[in-house]
Amino acid sequence: MAIKNKIVVIGCGRLGSSIADLASERGENVIVVDSISSSFERLDDNFSGYKVTGDATDVSLLEEDAYIETAREVAICTGDDNVNLFLAHVCATIYQVPEVYVRFDDPDKSALISGNPHIKAIYPFELSINKFAALEGEGK
Amino acid sequence: MRIVIANGSKQAAFIIGMFKSKENQLIVINSSRSFANELAHKEHISVLVGSPWRNFVLEEAGVHDADVFISLSEKDTDNYASCILAKKIFNVKKCICVVNNPENVELYKKLGIDSVISSTYLLAQSIKSESSMESLIKTLTLENNKIVVSEIPVLSRYRIANKRIMDIDFPKYASISAIYRNFTVIIPNGQVEIKAKDILLVVCAPEDQKRIYNFIQQEDRGKK
Repeated sequence: MAIKNKIVVIGCGRLGSSIADLASERGENVIVVDSISSSFERLDDNFSGYKVTGDATDVSLLEEDAYIETAREVAICTGDDNVNLFLAHVCATIYQVPEVYVRFDDPDKSALISGNPHIKAIYPFELSINKFAALEGEGK
Repeated sequence: MRIVIANGSKQAAFIIGMFKSKENQLIVINSSRSFANELAHKEHISVLVGSPWRNFVLEEAGVHDADVFISLSEKDTDNYASCILAKKIFNVKKCICVVNNPENVELYKKLGIDSVISSTYLLAQSIKSESSMESLIKTLTLENNKIVVSEIPVLSRYRIANKRIMDIDFPKYASISAIYRNFTVIIPNGQVEIKAKDILLVVCAPEDQKRIYNFIQQEDRGKK
């Protein structure tokens, strides 16, 4: 079996590019995937990982170009919740990636990943509302 | 049956027309308001406007425990998300997912969707069987091209004609599952004699298809 030592980031938006930069700074082996090559401009000048342009929902690209089988961690942050859900399921169940992090705008998606202990979700909406409640609490 | 039809344009209209009857209760969901109006007007049914991959939309549509859920969105991942939601949260009995990319057929099944249909895949299959081999032979592929059923007519000059199945040493990689003779179906055993004008229904793996045709169509050198 392949050694799982890479970090694959899917979607190089604001969140994806920052995650990729952080991992690259730590000296990790990073691969970023995005369907639009200009998205890679968001990456830091010192970013030392690989950039793969293409559609990540095409599993042959995931396998052959993003080396998904060798991923220890995958961060999925495209702008489409359905794409993110599908990729999370594919990475966790088909390629047995030990740690799958996925961003969802819709908190209802939590019910669809609850069965899999390897998938961990980030909900910006929940983080914002919690922050709001905390900030509002401070003011009182 | 309670049938949910999620998204789709022309295909949705066609499927609605096909299933519209007293026995079926149709639940139609479409994310395009203009198309939903068009559908409602043309087919005289109520159409819910919303994205079928959202929890609250399926809730509002009342798809709980529906018999069939057909997802016809343009993007494969939208269909995937809709079907998984219908299956896991709304306990729909059977989900049918339409995909563009033929590679997704096997993959989506592995991920838990009951039935995945790719029109490209079906088109390729039918082109292949239309153009395959001798035009005399009709074939049907099952289980995503893992099994092929071929209809092979027997001519009197073939070596196997007028012989019992047990005497012809039929190859192990294929099986004669039925013989069609004079409008009746015979389920064969070794004692049955193959006659000219019989049609053999032969089941085998696709890679053995050509071999079995060659076997059956061997001509008897003694006959003219």
